[in-house]
Amino acid sequence: MHKIAIVAWHEFFETVRTRMFFISLFLVPGLILALVFGADWIAQLTEREAMPQRRIALVDYSGRVTEELHRQVEAHNQANPNRPFVLEVRPPTVDDATIADEVRSGRIYAYLKIPAAALDPPAPASSEPADVLAGPAALERLLSPDSPDACELGRKDQQLQALRELHQMVNAAVRNVRFAQAGLDPTTVARLQAEVPLRSVDVRTGEGGKDDVVVRMLMPFAFMFLLFMGTMQISYGLLTSLLEEKSSRVIEVLLSALSPLQLMAGKILGVVLVGLLLILVWGGVGYYTAQARGFDYLLSGRLLVYVGLYFIPGFLLISAFLGAIGSACNTLKEAQSMASPITLINIVPLMLWLPISQNPSAAWSVALSFFPPFTPFVMVLRICADPDTPLWQLLATQLVLWLAVAGTIWAAAKIFRVGILMYGKPPSPRELLRWLRYA
Amino acid sequence: MTDALVLTEVTKRYGALAAVDALSLRVPAGQVLGFLGPNGAGKTTTLRMVMGITYPDSGSLEILGQRSARKVADRVGYLPEERGLYRKLTVEATLRYLGHLKGLRGPELTRRIDESLERVGLADRKKSRVETLSKGMQQKLQFICTLLHQPELVILDEPFAGLDPLNVDLLERLVAELRRAGLSVVFSTHQMEQAERLCDRIVLINRGRKLLDGTLAEVRARFHTRIVLLEGEGDFSHLADWTGVARAQVTAGQARLELADGTDIDALLHQAVRSVRLRRFELARPSLQEIFVKLVAADTDAAAATAGRERTNA
Repeated sequence: MHKIAIVAWHEFFETVRTRMFFISLFLVPGLILALVFGADWIAQLTEREAMPQRRIALVDYSGRVTEELHRQVEAHNQANPNRPFVLEVRPPTVDDATIADEVRSGRIYAYLKIPAAALDPPAPASSEPADVLAGPAALERLLSPDSPDACELGRKDQQLQALRELHQMVNAAVRNVRFAQAGLDPTTVARLQAEVPLRSVDVRTGEGGKDDVVVRMLMPFAFMFLLFMGTMQISYGLLTSLLEEKSSRVIEVLLSALSPLQLMAGKILGVVLVGLLLILVWGGVGYYTAQARGFDYLLSGRLLVYVGLYFIPGFLLISAFLGAIGSACNTLKEAQSMASPITLINIVPLMLWLPISQNPSAAWSVALSFFPPFTPFVMVLRICADPDTPLWQLLATQLVLWLAVAGTIWAAAKIFRVGILMYGKPPSPRELLRWLRYA
Repeated sequence: MTDALVLTEVTKRYGALAAVDALSLRVPAGQVLGFLGPNGAGKTTTLRMVMGITYPDSGSLEILGQRSARKVADRVGYLPEERGLYRKLTVEATLRYLGHLKGLRGPELTRRIDESLERVGLADRKKSRVETLSKGMQQKLQFICTLLHQPELVILDEPFAGLDPLNVDLLERLVAELRRAGLSVVFSTHQMEQAERLCDRIVLINRGRKLLDGTLAEVRARFHTRIVLLEGEGDFSHLADWTGVARAQVTAGQARLELADGTDIDALLHQAVRSVRLRRFELARPSLQEIFVKLVAADTDAAAATAGRERTNA
């Protein structure tokens, strides 16, 4: 046991001292902080830059929208002095080709055609008024962008913000004209259509009224991402150190002092400690970020304990697997290609995070959490999403996970003992299986 | 006298190949055993089993009175054939790590590190990284790593391979020191002169089987008394016809006589003195090298013949 500790400490200390470790320790949280705080900053920066006036050639076939649209553009220009638009009215007789050429040559930014029919949306058949009242979906079927009655915006570029702004202005202008035609006061209509406020309260934390839906959705992902990054770090660390020892022929010197099992256990323990240190630092940065943004109430102590309970066997499982692979290979390249299934397995839950965290108790979520390589990832997602995950599932997945850890370490130790002294061609999976049967 | 190491009928197979085949040997405490054999004879496999790195398929091992080298790891020093060091560690850190693993610590460890480095002339490289050392220095460092914990039994697998003559000389002196200090030593080599200089006993193996086992004196006695070289003036030809001579090569003024078993050498000497003017009468002492080549060649031929017969039969 004592020798395992010596190896583990050596492994940990020598890894932590490297420049590579230092970089990954600060680079990843740096990136996270940059993403969280930098996005706002970059957005502000782009807003501040003034754009030239963009001229829009307006073809208003009914002639009744122009005035209202002018008002909308003016309001927009006042609110966004850096992104102004100017309307140039063209007669409805204008030639389609001419106006398109104007846009193509860059003389104007875009043309906008508003057909008269836009002011008079088709009425649904009298048989389905209930549908119309139920929601806009029924109407949308009648008013598709492909219909000849749709408005048309012709541009050279595909800038999304301009599209949204123009669409919004056209929408508001045309609707206001429709209301006026129907004898309704637009202000009254707007007041009546105002969104009904809904406060979302979490009865466990007592916190409410905060706009935390997105954060709640992202939090499980953050945990899983930590697990993923930790796993990657561990994989890389273990494989490099094993292969260095193998290629420098230091392994057999070590094996005169301790058994292959002790050596492997020490190395695994060492890299798992490195992984835990990393996620502690990264998690700390994450916690600080959450606190700075006022979301730390989402991170209960109980949750963090559970996360730890799944991270540790998760790391052990992966490092035992990689220990076996690393011992059997001779170069990092060989080992990485043999370890690629592990990377794939790690990516699968990363892709499934949304469905799992939205349906943490669905049968397939539960089923996935009993497949040991997925267990840590899936369970962390589920526990974050639903703190009331049944106790039996927690216990059963822990049991399955630890059994898998024990089995993998057993198999890895056997492969390790044979592989560590093998040089030359890396073994095929079938040979690896045969090594398991060696005494 | 107790034995430091005893192997009884140890066999290790890799698939159909018996890398080590029912090998028995013993190393009495305080003796130096030369473990000889051509490349691929099974020397490294045997030593790995001794160290508990691999396990025999059958047979038993006893090392310092224990069934497993693991139990006595801190009393055994092992220099593997495939040896190397951490390139990025300093000399001191290397010795410290390996010393820790061998159960040393504290001021005792520090003292031994300094002493050992002093002994091989590496004291001024204590803080250097291993990768900056020359190959010879690295081998010296590996050697003192093996001995740092003052083992009772030292196992050296091809310790002289790849060394320049100066370093061979230094290592030979270190091995001789170990012998004087009363340690038990096993070293494998395929260089016979070293074995002749350093060993008390030798074991020769080929294709996993033992061909020869005994003290250096026994081995020589078994092989050297059979041939007599004569030089002088006169006619040697009738000596060739003498009763005890099995085979003879006679040239002008010289004869090389192979004697039959039980021939009295004194009688031959009398006979020779009577018939020729003798300037040289020498019992040829075949070098270990010759014995080695002869035995291994004969064994390998026998194996080829057996294999040939098996092929014909099949």
